[in-house]
Amino acid sequence: MMYGRKGYQLVKDFASGEKGLLKPFNSKLFDETIEECEQNHGLIQSLITKMQQEGLDVQNNRNADHYGALVHHLSLTRNKRCLMAYVHNRAEIVRDLAWRVGLVLLELPPDIQEKLTALEKDYFKNHSKAIKSYMGKLGIELNVDMVPPKDPYIKIRVVGDIDQGIMMSDKTTNFTRHSMHFLKRTDAEPYIARNQLTYPPCLIGGKI
Amino acid sequence: MAKYYDIDDILIEEEFAPVIFHKPVNGVTIDPSAETSCVEQGAKVELPFWLAHELHLRQAVSINLPACFDQKTRLEIQADAACVDLRSRCPYFYEFGCKLQPLVTDRTIGILLSTAFKIRYKERLTKVFTATHLTASKFLPFLTKEETNLYEAAHLSMTTFRKWRTGGPRFQRASILGRKRKES
Repeated sequence: MMYGRKGYQLVKDFASGEKGLLKPFNSKLFDETIEECEQNHGLIQSLITKMQQEGLDVQNNRNADHYGALVHHLSLTRNKRCLMAYVHNRAEIVRDLAWRVGLVLLELPPDIQEKLTALEKDYFKNHSKAIKSYMGKLGIELNVDMVPPKDPYIKIRVVGDIDQGIMMSDKTTNFTRHSMHFLKRTDAEPYIARNQLTYPPCLIGGKI
Repeated sequence: MAKYYDIDDILIEEEFAPVIFHKPVNGVTIDPSAETSCVEQGAKVELPFWLAHELHLRQAVSINLPACFDQKTRLEIQADAACVDLRSRCPYFYEFGCKLQPLVTDRTIGILLSTAFKIRYKERLTKVFTATHLTASKFLPFLTKEETNLYEAAHLSMTTFRKWRTGGPRFQRASILGRKRKES
């Protein structure tokens, strides 16, 4: 049975992932859905041709061939909807990555990068560019302080691999592993989001 | 079509509904009982909702209620709605029912859905905050997708509130990165 089935499987594959998280792009199902569309298209053509050969008015005649072509047309548009939704919903997550994790593609964790197609990576880069340009015009960094701050400085510990000698807004720091530092929130936030820094959660009575 | 890209809407419309064909159809293999690749007038076939709906709009078929809304289910809901395993009937019981309601001759679907939902909401979903893990795990598999979304929203708001009360970490690794711990 080839009536919108592949498109449905593709959407189901997307839905089976955890909400808001990307799975690898399912090129196999994607291509199979397109192939199903082509089969539908071929059958529409042959049914219309048959009607024309019988000398019938294709636009207005409602015979069995017309309804057959209709079913194939509806299946094709259904598959189209599934393909569009798949790409659209993934793009939403890609945009979200730029806001929540970081604006530079290569700074994203590698296991996320490998789930994106080349086109999605370009989309990410262009979206980041647009965000940066907008922030530049406003003069504010929009992707920090997503949670309202209580304190401008926080204490953090390095857990991931960060290049040495990073310039912070008020000093240069060497981020050796397991070292602890006292940083400005806005400087630390992107690294925490990328899981390269962690901050020891305070017990009751402390504040972050 | 505000829900064109909505994943749930696409999944709901894949649910099957029985139809009766009023017109013959040529060149399609949707009727498994047909010998040739066509559908005869008067044939009874199960079609996915998206197809049934469009054919109904063009007066090619009429739609009947699927098995998940049958008499057996109705009696169970009447007896004790809170305990019925609606998910096994149809994971999108309410939304699917709402889509079917204007298209079928049966006028009682609306009342069935709202009654079932009211009872289940009152008996189950309001108990999110007080139910122990054991009782919750018993009825969670019976909830439809819509009910599960409500349950998770309530659970999330409760967790967030508790976190605010006790002052837990306010900075998190981006949830978009997933829960799997990376080996460091």
